[in-house]
Amino acid sequence: MGRLNAEEMVLNMGPQHPSTHGVLRLKLRTDGEIVSHIEPVIGYLHRSFEKHAENLEYQMVTPFTGRCDYLAAMGSEHGYAMAVEKMMGIELPERVEYLRVIFAELQRIASHLVAVGAFGLDVGAITPFIYCFRERELILDLFEMASGARLLYNYIWIGGLAHDVPPGFVEKTYEFLDAFDERVAEYNQILTGNKIFIERAADIGVMTPEVAINYGVTGPSLRASGVNIDIRRTEPYSIYDRFDFDVPLGQGLQGTIGDSWDRYYVRVLEMTESAKIIRQALDQLPVEGDVKSAIPRRIRPPKGEIYFRSENPRGELGYYIVSNGKNVPLRLKMRSPAFSNLSVINEIGQGWMISDVIAILGSLDIVLGEIDR
Amino acid sequence: MTEQEIYADLSKKFGDKVIEFMEEGTLNPTVVVDAAAIAKIVTYLKDDERFQFDSLMNLAGHDGDVEADLSVIYHLVSTELKHYITLKVFTSRVEPKVASVAVIYRTANWHEREAFDLYGINFEGHPDLKRILLEDDWEGYPLRKDYVPAEFYRGMRIEKVK
Amino acid sequence: MITSLANWILTFDILSGMGSSVAWGLSLFVVAALIFVFVAVNAIVLVYIERKVSAFMQVRLGPMRVGKFGTLQTVADALKLLQKEDIIPKMADKVLFIVGPWVILVASVVTFAAIPFSDTLLAANMNIGLYYIVSISSIVVLGIVMAGWASNNKWSLYGAMRSAAQIISYEIPVGITLIAVVAVVGSLNLQTIIEAQGGTGNLFYWIPIPLPNWFIFHNPFLFIAAFVYLIGATAEINRTPFDIPESESELVAGFMTEFSGLRWALFFLSEYANATLVAFLVAIVFLGGWQSPFADYEGTQIGFSIITLVAIMWTLFVRTKTGRLSVYPLGLSFVITIAVWLFPGFAIWLASPGIFWMLMKVGTIIFLLMWFRWTFPRLRVDQLMYVSWKVILPLSLINLMGVAIWMWLTGEIQF
Repeated sequence: MGRLNAEEMVLNMGPQHPSTHGVLRLKLRTDGEIVSHIEPVIGYLHRSFEKHAENLEYQMVTPFTGRCDYLAAMGSEHGYAMAVEKMMGIELPERVEYLRVIFAELQRIASHLVAVGAFGLDVGAITPFIYCFRERELILDLFEMASGARLLYNYIWIGGLAHDVPPGFVEKTYEFLDAFDERVAEYNQILTGNKIFIERAADIGVMTPEVAINYGVTGPSLRASGVNIDIRRTEPYSIYDRFDFDVPLGQGLQGTIGDSWDRYYVRVLEMTESAKIIRQALDQLPVEGDVKSAIPRRIRPPKGEIYFRSENPRGELGYYIVSNGKNVPLRLKMRSPAFSNLSVINEIGQGWMISDVIAILGSLDIVLGEIDR
Repeated sequence: MTEQEIYADLSKKFGDKVIEFMEEGTLNPTVVVDAAAIAKIVTYLKDDERFQFDSLMNLAGHDGDVEADLSVIYHLVSTELKHYITLKVFTSRVEPKVASVAVIYRTANWHEREAFDLYGINFEGHPDLKRILLEDDWEGYPLRKDYVPAEFYRGMRIEKVK
Repeated sequence: MITSLANWILTFDILSGMGSSVAWGLSLFVVAALIFVFVAVNAIVLVYIERKVSAFMQVRLGPMRVGKFGTLQTVADALKLLQKEDIIPKMADKVLFIVGPWVILVASVVTFAAIPFSDTLLAANMNIGLYYIVSISSIVVLGIVMAGWASNNKWSLYGAMRSAAQIISYEIPVGITLIAVVAVVGSLNLQTIIEAQGGTGNLFYWIPIPLPNWFIFHNPFLFIAAFVYLIGATAEINRTPFDIPESESELVAGFMTEFSGLRWALFFLSEYANATLVAFLVAIVFLGGWQSPFADYEGTQIGFSIITLVAIMWTLFVRTKTGRLSVYPLGLSFVITIAVWLFPGFAIWLASPGIFWMLMKVGTIIFLLMWFRWTFPRLRVDQLMYVSWKVILPLSLINLMGVAIWMWLTGEIQF
């Protein structure tokens, strides 16, 4: 930290704080209200996921991947399952692929709802948070219908799904989609165009594309800076190349490109895009197909290593798996998007006031479970 | 450009610092390079017009076996030209030392701290190498294959997992 | 009111033995106790109403279990707070820690002595009533800074500093806006201000819509002044969008963080007392205080019939998001309309001025304040300062000039 000037104050936004989205500690060096240096201290939620995975069989790791990023558990399980399937060269039935895409996109909407609502909460607007959670309840009901759990599923298994969706699921999802589009209009009414909200979020914490790429920022935070990289488009996995959707980019509608408002608005737009994908997937969903037919009896990937990337609601979720032919991974590293997203906060948070640092942190949308693993 | 071409170019430029090209045993073709030269190689890959690897996506430590060398793997991406390359370095277990790329790619700052924290790999040239996930006064490097936890930590007994 | 109460006490045979000054002293205490009871009961009711209003705005129910529809929730909360352990941090400045909350509460409650609840219910008929209220209520800053400093906590200090800056900056436009009204009336006495708003007149003097003679309809500059005052007052009482000092998501609870139990209850009491005070001032100064909006009982009949017609239109043409008809406005106005047509006594009572209309207006303003809180995000400290010094203050000055010019144009004053 260096020597402290006489006017500077060290302020600790400690591990327990209403706005740090988990147990994160930010050491702020401030001069009055202006922040001159931010040092995030993480590790409060470290649960040694990677070491633990070296003692678990491949299929036993699936529930733990969900617990790392607990707001996007389907996405984590999906990425892991695809990584192992690629190592083993498993071909999946069509129905499994479509259902997985539906769940991944529903999870994306649910995660963005939390991000959008919590961002509003950080700047003081409490009501949109409740509205977002009202929609999230509908999605969690769908997940409960399919997998039995609301938050952490253990549903997307290597080679298929745990069980098929019950009858009535498709109809209920259509109902949800019909109700959802006008709800997004509601959020835009109460929050996006609100003058006070714009003053709190626009032009705050501008992240230029060079800074973003150099710090390894991915996902909506990167796209808000104008960089058009979405792994579903650049390196399509699963069956994403069959769907027609736009990738929203930040355009600086209310301020500069790459400010907090853009990061917030990209997430709002992405929710509509995900709803589009879900609708197309539901329309094309094959009726026949056994979701458990491709699950191998024994999961023993051949010797080798792989790095597989997928698009988590937060960014690029990468799994680096090394196998030595046994049924237990030799090395499993989860490259979590929030880890790199958080590291950029010192760069873009310097020179702003404390209230702005909280807004910037909210716009980056981090989940401590996946940072600390 | 394919990984083959990149390997050919690198071994032409850096000679014996580029050790080998692994194609089997991995689904991402990997170029194995010398641990001390990784920073220079990575700078070359970043600045050269034909490669433009402006993004380091992942940096992970790895320990193959109780007696084997430690290794660090780098996954590089070019956002402009949309190609990928994987680099790998090996370093001895007794005194692991790898050149740090934290100044070139700011992503590596935290990832190298994590590799140091969990494997004990020393990254030379890193601006602020200290533990990131574990406590600052933790003893040992947990993800190594020969890691045995201490008896006590700050007066609390560490339970053995059966 | 104190003298009349004293005289009333002396009329009893048993009590007439005491001297008139003793009776006067006794009635002094009784009136003071009544005011304090009013403030306390008011806070209890407002906490419940705020929780219910915020719940309904957020598509949820609010307290429902303690008492029917959760009405006893605040009582339960008060009991809980009273039995909590009184924690004073070791390094805190003990004297200021204890005195701070009381200063705030005392400053807020004492101002109620000058508020006229109706034409007869007034504790102290002061000639400088308005001036007294504005000056005493600014002592609140002192209490806040005491509380923030004594907590020995950087976060509390931040909250206290921000609050001091905020309240002091918004005092000026608030004061100037009130002066605009005083210029129209010519007196600082609150009863005089209300009495000057009796009767009906035209909207903005020339537009021939018959409206009660309240100052908000008196001239367009006073109309603007009312809203300027409302914004300034929201900032004075530290409510969203100006609740930086107690911004929950940033500073946990700002300058109130270290206070627990009864001390925290004092802060809460004083926040709602301040909110009520501000609502009273808006009602008195701009909305006619205890004057009723209807001139006579026929006015009520016509007025409520129009309201029912509007409610019928609303019910037919406006739907809620889920497609249901909103029938509550229609039902209520329909019932009242039938009542005023059938029972002239009820209509006369409704049309007469008094505490009922005062409380109606105060309730509307408080509802408005709650509505603001649950809709808007909060402003950052420097944005708040910007709004105060560069927007609200020039606006209030222009208003003052505008009021004077308007009054010259309408002939009320001559130069």
